[in-house]
Amino acid sequence: MSRLMLAVARFVVRGLGIGKAMPLLAAVVISLFPAQSPAAVSAAAFDSANKLYEEGKFAEAAAAYETMTKAGQASAALYFNLGNAFFKSGQIGRAIAAYHQAEQLTPRDPDLRANLQFARNQMPSPTLSPTRWQRWLGRLTLNEWTVLAAGAVWIWLLLLAVLQWRPALRPPLRAYVLSIAILAVLLCSCAAAALRETRFTRTAIVITRDTAVRYTPLPESATAFTVQDGAELLVLDQKDEWFQVNAGPRRTGWLRRDQVVVAGR
Amino acid sequence: MRRSSSWIKHNLRCRSRSGLRLLFAFLLLLLWPAAPCALVAATFTATLDRETVTVGETATLSLTFKGGEPKSIPALPQLPNLQIAGEGTSRNVVIDNGQFSASISQTFALTAAQPGEFIIPALRAEIDGQVLATQPLKLTAVKADSSAANAAGEKLAFFKLFVPKKEVYVGEILAAEFQVYVREGVANAENILQGFEQYAGCPVKAEGVSIFKTAHAQRRRMRSGNSIYGVATLITSLSPVKTGPLTIGAMEVTLTLQLPLPNQRSRDPFDPFGMFQQYERRQVALTTEPAALTVLPLPKENVPTNFNGAVGSFSMSVTAGPTNVAAGDPVTVKVQISGRGTLDSLSLPEQNAWREFKTYPPTTKLDTTDALGLQGTKTFEQLVVPQSPDIKALPPVSFSFFDPDQKSYRTLTQPAIPLVVRPGGSAPAPTVAATTRAAPDNPPPAQDIVHIKPRLGTLAQIAPPLVQQPWFLALQAVPLLAWLSALVWRHRTEMLANNPRLRRRRQVAQIMRQGLLELRQFASDKKSDDFFATLFRLLQEQLGERLDLPASAITEAVIEEHLRPRGAPEATLASLHELFQACNLARYAPIRTSQELAAVIPKLEAMLRELQGLKT
Repeated sequence: MSRLMLAVARFVVRGLGIGKAMPLLAAVVISLFPAQSPAAVSAAAFDSANKLYEEGKFAEAAAAYETMTKAGQASAALYFNLGNAFFKSGQIGRAIAAYHQAEQLTPRDPDLRANLQFARNQMPSPTLSPTRWQRWLGRLTLNEWTVLAAGAVWIWLLLLAVLQWRPALRPPLRAYVLSIAILAVLLCSCAAAALRETRFTRTAIVITRDTAVRYTPLPESATAFTVQDGAELLVLDQKDEWFQVNAGPRRTGWLRRDQVVVAGR
Repeated sequence: MRRSSSWIKHNLRCRSRSGLRLLFAFLLLLLWPAAPCALVAATFTATLDRETVTVGETATLSLTFKGGEPKSIPALPQLPNLQIAGEGTSRNVVIDNGQFSASISQTFALTAAQPGEFIIPALRAEIDGQVLATQPLKLTAVKADSSAANAAGEKLAFFKLFVPKKEVYVGEILAAEFQVYVREGVANAENILQGFEQYAGCPVKAEGVSIFKTAHAQRRRMRSGNSIYGVATLITSLSPVKTGPLTIGAMEVTLTLQLPLPNQRSRDPFDPFGMFQQYERRQVALTTEPAALTVLPLPKENVPTNFNGAVGSFSMSVTAGPTNVAAGDPVTVKVQISGRGTLDSLSLPEQNAWREFKTYPPTTKLDTTDALGLQGTKTFEQLVVPQSPDIKALPPVSFSFFDPDQKSYRTLTQPAIPLVVRPGGSAPAPTVAATTRAAPDNPPPAQDIVHIKPRLGTLAQIAPPLVQQPWFLALQAVPLLAWLSALVWRHRTEMLANNPRLRRRRQVAQIMRQGLLELRQFASDKKSDDFFATLFRLLQEQLGERLDLPASAITEAVIEEHLRPRGAPEATLASLHELFQACNLARYAPIRTSQELAAVIPKLEAMLRELQGLKT
């Protein structure tokens, strides 16, 4: 990899001259490795937060992890540990929200799935549970689906280009072109569905205990039903500081923004 | 004709190959999300419809091949006092929920000539290059009770309960047979026997036993006393759960038998010709003697440490892979336990030697080969994660069970599997495959969350997904542009290939560009002969292209013959004459200055432009 990059750099310098090539290469290097330098700094903070957790200071550990997430960088382990710290400090809703964040980065981590399920199991109904299709789709991240779909489309279009260039290859490659086209369509559909699930479907995770879901977005409104800390509800609409949520058939109401963490988008 | 026919065959073969490839690719695509169960492996199983028969009775041995066709049907070895009374082959194709499965069954009717135990050894068959083997089967033949048979010979119908053993161990599985005998001549015998074979309940009743499944055996005819009976057999698998005496009873049923009335023609005025058969209906209450057994406790001596209650007769195979991993990477250990016993409740014992591995709950899969679910294979797939590069092998896997036939405990141990464990990086944790069925031996639910992670792992910038990044979207235009460019290039190439005049026009344009450069060079070098030769050639090429004539056929005469009739302007014709004259004069007065030669070039260029504007 490094040899390839060196060869590319040499080619650019030869083509543009050292004066023009250096700023360009510097910009490329900065854009390729944005996360390299701050990692060493964060590792110490991560270790000290872990130490707080091991000492049983779960709330302090959660605060430390949360501060790190606000630095603009994150890792699956960071969100996982944040979820654990929230869970141990009794904040199931925030724990589930943190596990959701970790799930966006490593959806196939069995530890993460076990903890998310464990946290969900603490919840009395109502709560939103993913369908089989959503679970299957969630096995890959949105970026992974996107790369797979883009890869299939690239291969398909390049094959088409090759067939224009060498028409003699058309009969033997026809079956492959058609198969890859179908594969590309299916993968694009999956990528679109994953995009819809992760970016355009929002889930409100309740973070306060015995939260009243109201009929209208007004503090004076009557309570439609009550939900517990950790309940996951589908967001239908938003009005000012209120979210309209759905917790099942004919169970729709409004929750204040400070009562929930919204996952997705 | 033969050639044409072979061409058609070749074409069809190519098409079918292409179609097959396409079909295969499409099926692969469809099955991709369900990759773990996508490809159905070939199987070869042997089953007996009854495990115990009386001497002279027939048991059916079925050899079933699924997922492929055997190279040859294996022959049964000669067993003393066990005769093959008949055999047959059947093929079965099932499409269930889009799943296609085909099977071939070979059946053998086996009749025991003497009482005793007959072991049908493991049979081998080759399917698609793969050699598969069945498990050995045991058939027990007991002596027929002649006194009971003679007494029964007078009855129209009776029940019989048959339990193969008088002493069983707690947890041992046994098959109790409930037989329904209906004498030939009973008009509704077929309906009665069919009704019992379709009975969905359990025909036996007992306390202190676990009752599993009920299936029916092949219908048969047999002689009892002086009569011939049709016999339907229901077999129930059960297992005692407490020690001491055990009584197994059977259901009590009142049947209505239809017996044909003799001499009806003379008695019935409405049916003088005896066209309609009339019957006498007779109610018969049927019951059977209960079977008495003794349930023995499992021995308390020599109990293996990892015995977890399995009773039966089993074999074990263990595979693991991959065996070259980094520390922290998962290894899948596949343990297959095959044999006869309570497979459904079988669980993998705790493997104490796996302390240096992080283990995940195993997934289980049960494949039974008989209708009662007594015989088959249970597969455990367990993910183990080596935690240290010092680990050199996967420790031996052991499994203990009590064998009621040998009346002793047995322990199966598979040797250690060598592992190469490299120092790990930040490998992702393994994915636990979802269990396809709820197994009763699954471990209890977790009591706490999984502990925090000690390493931060790879940090990533919190950024919008790729699909919302402009650079990524722009990058997707690259293959599209490549394809469009190839498409345009291909169209241009084809257009040129199909239009010789256009091709010539482009070639001439190229010649003109090259020729004008040469003219300038010759003018500066004062090469008068070369200059005018080139000038003449350029005029020939351009006029030839315009008039669609060979360049060599162009002379000054074409001005009058072709250009004037086409209405070319007089000034053009005059200039053209002048250029041709200049070429002719140059042969006799070759010495010119560079300026004189160079002055001809603009005239030529102007002439060429005019000629290019000329209608062809």
